Amino acid sequence: MLNLIRKDMILQKKTLPFMLLFLFIYLFVNVSTSWVAIVFCIVIIMNAFQTDETSSANLLLNSLPYTRKEIVSSKYIGALIFIFLTLLTIFIGNWMIHREIMQWEVLLFITSIVMGLISFAFPFSYLFNSKYLLIGFGGVFVVYMVTLSFIPNLNDRVREVVQTVLSLDNSLFYIGIILSVGLLYVLSWILSIRIYSRKVF
Amino acid sequence: MENVIELQHVYKAFKGFELKDLSISVKKGFVTGFIGGNGAGKSTTIKLIMNLLKPDSGTISIFGMDYKKNEKEIKQRIGFVFDSNIFYENITLAEMKKIIKPAYRKWDDTLFNQYVDMFELPLKKNLKTFSKGMKMKASLTIALSHHAELIIMDEPTSGLDPIIRSELLNILHNLMQNGERTILFSTHITTDLDRIADYITFIHNGQHIFTKEYYKIEEEFAIVKGGTNLLDRDTEQEFIGIHKTNHGFRALTANKQRTKNIFGDTVIIEKPTLEDIMLYTKKGEERDAKSYS
Repeated sequence: MLNLIRKDMILQKKTLPFMLLFLFIYLFVNVSTSWVAIVFCIVIIMNAFQTDETSSANLLLNSLPYTRKEIVSSKYIGALIFIFLTLLTIFIGNWMIHREIMQWEVLLFITSIVMGLISFAFPFSYLFNSKYLLIGFGGVFVVYMVTLSFIPNLNDRVREVVQTVLSLDNSLFYIGIILSVGLLYVLSWILSIRIYSRKVF
Repeated sequence: MENVIELQHVYKAFKGFELKDLSISVKKGFVTGFIGGNGAGKSTTIKLIMNLLKPDSGTISIFGMDYKKNEKEIKQRIGFVFDSNIFYENITLAEMKKIIKPAYRKWDDTLFNQYVDMFELPLKKNLKTFSKGMKMKASLTIALSHHAELIIMDEPTSGLDPIIRSELLNILHNLMQNGERTILFSTHITTDLDRIADYITFIHNGQHIFTKEYYKIEEEFAIVKGGTNLLDRDTEQEFIGIHKTNHGFRALTANKQRTKNIFGDTVIIEKPTLEDIMLYTKKGEERDAKSYS
């Protein structure tokens, strides 16, 4: 299974330097770190997912001595590794550029959001195709823009909510978040294995 | 004799196509040619054998094991070549090797390099720049580099020029020398099989027609040529399929000796090719369909 994760790294090798470059540009421009981190995690993870979505890639992986369970699991474990590496890079980048150390609450917040999104994105993509996900995201974006015209200060409100959540000094609350996101991720994992096992190539 | 692949009463239905009660076996140490027209069910059968599809009912056993319990063990011992390129296109052959090598316990770098040299394959060029022949050779190189006992090839020769086809057949021939290997080779270019196949398995419309030793096909089957005046309702039953023209008829029989006894010297009897067998089976089926309706 580790071989499958390594395979994703090899396949991503060419795009990663570009990603790194963009990442640093974004960090310089001072956009919200959480936002940049979430977008980068999702892009990298879904990019790795897409390369294996073609029928030829499925044919190859399933003909090699791997089980379908392993193929799906490699994506879920790989996603965690990608999240870790992205956050590590951003953490170091932030420290180098802005001389500031990211709060662990922010890191937890980013990880939870990304894991939550992936929990929906993976089973959906296994069932249909990730390209529909993009269309879905487009739809959500339109809805967001429309909502924005009704509630002009939506962005500020979101920021406020995020700030309140992050400033909550309640370890029980954090444990609750970790547990529920973890549970969601595991359920999504099991669901994806079920969907993928029934796929026909 | 030991069977490497054994399918028993396998059913698999799709929209508009089904495999019906398919029972075939592939013998250890031989090359089995797997023939049938487009859409006969060759690729579906191969996918069932590779566990890319699961049968609706029936059992499939490979090396005497079943996929439910021993999926990885079975696949460790199989090398595969598909008709289309299944490698990632944006990487080099060297990178592809890096990805596949750790999957196999018995991967052999020396062997890999030997084939790369023999086929003159570039290691540092993107796979998408490879020609169709080179892609097939790359596939074959990977399939042969982990000492697979069973090599499964789905139409490896389709779209290749005669020189590369002949090269491929030579390599397969050499591979068979130690007697431990088994090859299942699906194709609709039946002349490829003349040189290497020991057994022929023929399927048509999702049904197994026969599995025979190649030389026995020539002993049993024959092409019969004669005047149309020889044909009537009874004699037509002797043939699998008949092709009539103004000058006479050409037909395929599955019982050469009987046909000889019936028609004697009034007909000419010739050796059939595999293509004849495929063609006349289809013709016969059309005739039967007509007579039933």
